[in-house]
Amino acid sequence: MKKVLNRSLLTWFLAIAFFIGLGYFVVNLVIHSSEWAQKPMNAHLSVTGLAQAGDIYDRNGVLLATSKDGERYYSNDYSTRLAMLHTVGDDSVNISTALQSVYRTGLTGYNFILGLGLPDSFRSSSDLNTTLDAEACAAAYNAMAERDYKGACVVYNYKTGEVICDVSTPGYDPYDPVTITEGDHTYDGVYIDNVISSTYPPGSTFKLVTAAAAIETIEGSENRLLYCEGSKIIGGEYVTCVEPHGEIDMKEAMAVSCNIYFAELAVELGPEKMTEYANAMGFNKNFKLDANDVAMSRYNVKDADTAGLAWSGVGQYTDMANPLHMAMIASAIANGGTPTEPYILESVNSFFDFKNILAGTHGRNGARMIKSSTAAKLGDMMRYTVSDHYGDSMFGDLHVAAKTGTAEVSDGAEDGWIVGYVTDEGCPLAFAVVIEHGGFGFSSAGPVANAAVAASARAVRGY
Amino acid sequence: MDGFLGFVFDLFAVIFRVAVPVFSVLILYKIYSSLRHNRREERPLIMLFDENEQKAVPVLYWENSIGRNRSCDICLPDNTVSREHAVLLRRDNGWSISDNDSKAGVFVNNEKISERTNIYLNDEIRIGSTVLSVKRAEEFEGASRRSWFFRNSGKKSISPKKLLTLISFFFVLVCCDASLTSKALHTGIIDLMPFTYGLITIGLMWATYILTTLIFKRVNFEIESLAFFLTGMGVLISVHQSEKQAIVQLISATVGIILFEFLIKFMEDPDRVGKWSKYIYIASLGLLAINLIFGRTQYGAANWISIGGISVQPSEVVKVGFIFVGSAGLDQLQTKKNLFGFLIFSALCVGALALMGDFGTALIFFITYLLISFMRSGDFKTLFVAVGAAVFASVIVLRFKPYIMDRFSAWGHVFEEPYVWDTGFQQARTLIYCASGGLFGVGLGNGFCKNLFASESDIVIGILCEELGIIVALVLAISIGALVFYARAITTRSRSTFYSISACCAAGLLVIQLSLNIFGATDILPLTGVTFPFISAGGSSMISCWGLMAFIKAADERTYAIRRESLFSSSEE
Repeated sequence: MKKVLNRSLLTWFLAIAFFIGLGYFVVNLVIHSSEWAQKPMNAHLSVTGLAQAGDIYDRNGVLLATSKDGERYYSNDYSTRLAMLHTVGDDSVNISTALQSVYRTGLTGYNFILGLGLPDSFRSSSDLNTTLDAEACAAAYNAMAERDYKGACVVYNYKTGEVICDVSTPGYDPYDPVTITEGDHTYDGVYIDNVISSTYPPGSTFKLVTAAAAIETIEGSENRLLYCEGSKIIGGEYVTCVEPHGEIDMKEAMAVSCNIYFAELAVELGPEKMTEYANAMGFNKNFKLDANDVAMSRYNVKDADTAGLAWSGVGQYTDMANPLHMAMIASAIANGGTPTEPYILESVNSFFDFKNILAGTHGRNGARMIKSSTAAKLGDMMRYTVSDHYGDSMFGDLHVAAKTGTAEVSDGAEDGWIVGYVTDEGCPLAFAVVIEHGGFGFSSAGPVANAAVAASARAVRGY
Repeated sequence: MDGFLGFVFDLFAVIFRVAVPVFSVLILYKIYSSLRHNRREERPLIMLFDENEQKAVPVLYWENSIGRNRSCDICLPDNTVSREHAVLLRRDNGWSISDNDSKAGVFVNNEKISERTNIYLNDEIRIGSTVLSVKRAEEFEGASRRSWFFRNSGKKSISPKKLLTLISFFFVLVCCDASLTSKALHTGIIDLMPFTYGLITIGLMWATYILTTLIFKRVNFEIESLAFFLTGMGVLISVHQSEKQAIVQLISATVGIILFEFLIKFMEDPDRVGKWSKYIYIASLGLLAINLIFGRTQYGAANWISIGGISVQPSEVVKVGFIFVGSAGLDQLQTKKNLFGFLIFSALCVGALALMGDFGTALIFFITYLLISFMRSGDFKTLFVAVGAAVFASVIVLRFKPYIMDRFSAWGHVFEEPYVWDTGFQQARTLIYCASGGLFGVGLGNGFCKNLFASESDIVIGILCEELGIIVALVLAISIGALVFYARAITTRSRSTFYSISACCAAGLLVIQLSLNIFGATDILPLTGVTFPFISAGGSSMISCWGLMAFIKAADERTYAIRRESLFSSSEE
């Protein structure tokens, strides 16, 4: 008997393994409960929906979404409703990055202790406060919609990280969701928030990266003169400019957006240096906007020949950039080399506030992108670009430093870009606008940026 | 429903939802504390007086090995004694001794014995040059053994009647919870259907209790109470899913209870079981063979056969047979050290199940085989060889049938595309619904997990967590998991190693199965599709679980206490 007793200890191993497994399951459940519960497949959310969900507000307490009598209501203003679509979301969870998708369980009052099934009388939904300004978003949306633009526009405070304006088009009215039938491409990308989830060839806006690499690597490179004849063979391929620019230094090259100047710099810097600076400035790197992963900007010249490397220096070749990331580059230049991490979700008001996930995460600085002296030089160039080439009147009474871009996309069309920031004291706004197939950045993205920045400035300054 | 009445309804719904987990914890505590109390102290049963050394040797167990080895229950430091010389054992008709083919033989009153021989008070047993005379236990003075599991605090634990009343009350609570569904809360119309099944379960439980106390004069009812607690939960979580399933559960539970009582009666004499072993061996293999020939493929595994419109899973019944064939009394263990017959049996069972595509059950059999063979032989080498052989066999099988791996490809990636839509579909949803229930659940009948494929069996943990909350789910899991500790603690208090081995292995089997079920559904292990004992829907599974509980019940000496006559000792129960 004694022997059998000793041998039967083996069963203990089984039982202990079982209890360890059970503990592991419980710990996992506690850690991941809210992530799992808010998966779009959860029928509690898609069937019961948002009937009990809390409110969503903009920075001034303007109601963006609310529930009443089992129905979900959105902003009364048509433009605001459409402008907020990708940020707030609709009744479905089709826009996976929207607040109503990502924080659906929180909105409906989920927590690990009480789960999702409380009877109506005991539901305690939570409200979300955002940093967005409804008017700024509506202004940007109108600027895009009246020109029938598809694209993205983001404006954020580069001191605090608050995103003021965040608009993605095309969209639809959450009261009248689109139905997409197989083979119908009218609504392609309608569920995608282009600010967060899209990347585009950056075109000339990438010259900021090439310039930063040159300034920090090649002594006196910003004063180097080049005679632009309008085209030049680099690595066996023609690199062309819109027109011959004549004799120019880097500042002038930036202002007139001379391809040859920066293509030659890229070739001189070589693939390693270019990659090093692109990586430092956030390419090939993951960012987050609240709980959402931001689409990764790409710079890869591993397999590039000399011509490819030259084109990569002016934002072509295989370069891809995310609009929010480009706004962060602008914020780094404005901030002396270090970007501020943007955020939209200001706070969560809930009865059972078990974990304040947001505390202490706001307005953090990201990793340094460039030296502060480099930031100052780039800032000068961008400011000069606006004041001497576009004209300050473009942005009303605001003083803006910016870089436009016109990126060739595969089908021969061109995406228009503008990336920049406001230099005025008390109005620290960084922005990026991209318009799909918009043509020249100055004429397509420019007016949208103007509308968005002007409205955002009113939100920040109060006038 | 709005207004004050609506609030009152909601309030009651919340009260029941919180009360169910609270009472489930209480029941779990009461059952196990009752199992720990009311035990006799492990005093010697009889005593052997060593005439040469002039010293008393206590006999603690019903089956005792005698030999030179220190690991023997009665160790005789005498060079003329073999290592494992003899077995001294107690049966209902008295004490007896048998010789393990020892060199020097065993002599009772100076007669060499050839088979198991009865011994009586004051008999002289000669083993080697040691002479032992049989004495009453009272003549021995010494401390009794203690066990961490059992307590003899003198405190009275809960009586069977009170425990059953508590469980009945709990079932009523669960029925109340099941009646106040969110539909009922919205419309004000309360569905009384759950009470039908709750009351039938309660009736079945009390009927079993009254019959067993009347017919078998049994005094304790903890194991049955535990099984009823689990069975009732299995029935009640299925009422909103499918009433037919609840009926199947109840009918199969009744069959299971009959099997349970039959097995306990059958196992009363461990020697009889030994004689029947070979028939069970053949019958089990026969069942699996029939299954292999006539098996229907259902949900990827051909482990079903249909008899007159009723689907049964023979492999479930074979689990009970497997434990029977594997377990043995101590005298058998000592003389038949060769496990070859059992090895062949196990290999055939595992092989047959693998052929059917039921890898989960095959794994359960394999691990149970390891348990049994180790408890019989104590040999780590065989353990490693068996594991090695199994790994080797798996590699060979996967080499020729690599598509089998596809079934498990989602493991660890269930939320990723494309698994979340195919092989990880169930696990991902199980986790989602586990998280949706919180501590107290969304209420019986309000869940969405029950609409998923195989939610009543493979991923029933999802329904438990979602509708009743994580606390109830854990209580049910722990109530089965803790059986292992009970079964092991009772080992030396069993009437034979047959009971010890079978109880430990039956509890072990249940825990292995429970692990594969819970951890498979929650993506901690690959999903193999086995049932949650007692809770998952399935008649065959329910019957086999009750059958396995019989082994644990039989290991408790009190199960047969009433039929025992006082042997040599006046102070026994």
